[in-house]
Amino acid sequence: MTAGLVAVFFVACAMFAVGVFGAAWRRDVSAAVATIPLMFAGAGIAFAGVARFAAAGGTHLLGQEFAVLLAVAAAALVALGLGIAGREGNR
Amino acid sequence: MDSLHAIGFYVSSGVLLIGALGVVLLPRRGLRGAALAFSGLGLAGVYYSLSAGFAGAVAFVCYAGCALMVAGPQYRTVEAVAGSAWRQVGAIGAAMLLAVLAFSAFRGDFVSATFKGGPFDAVALGRLLFAHDVVATEAVALLGLIAIAGAAAAWRLRERAR
Repeated sequence: MTAGLVAVFFVACAMFAVGVFGAAWRRDVSAAVATIPLMFAGAGIAFAGVARFAAAGGTHLLGQEFAVLLAVAAAALVALGLGIAGREGNR
Repeated sequence: MDSLHAIGFYVSSGVLLIGALGVVLLPRRGLRGAALAFSGLGLAGVYYSLSAGFAGAVAFVCYAGCALMVAGPQYRTVEAVAGSAWRQVGAIGAAMLLAVLAFSAFRGDFVSATFKGGPFDAVALGRLLFAHDVVATEAVALLGLIAIAGAAAAWRLRERAR
């Protein structure tokens, strides 16, 4: 059993499409914001897969670097989106 | 990729996709947060099986934080103004996007190279993040700072207006 770049791309595009579907389908804004990390995960998997399978001639870790930055950016965007959506407080 | 890593990749991909579907389809925010943490675990496994263990560790921490924020009970429900027809158009668009991306992925089998890095490789990645591409790292750190400060300011303004 083996896995190649095509399998990685299939998982990545499935994640991105699930994220887009969730952002379009959910009525609640805070629930739609929760799908941002799913889209970013799809992009990050594609970057890490390219770094793993297409980095000819040595250790080119640029794709892994993008994956790290995308994960941090996803967390920041969720915080910002939920902050804009607002807090319930005592109501 | 040997058999053990391939099995890990497929199992982690299954965990990731099940968690992602849970985030999209589950009704309550606590369940959605748990599903997001579950998908973060799967994402870390996928990264590790792709010899990106450090990226997996960072992604797991970030997605666990996202899960805690999403599962928090203090966020109010804000209904979007888009009608049912637009939601269905969006869902059909997502399906078409999946078809296009899957076709592109199927056509992407034209490269193959031998990866010479280790399974975790935090030293090389840290050198890349903090020496070679430090501007990008600083930009993302600035984005995180702005996001958290903006969220805090938005909460404070809303509390003051109440």
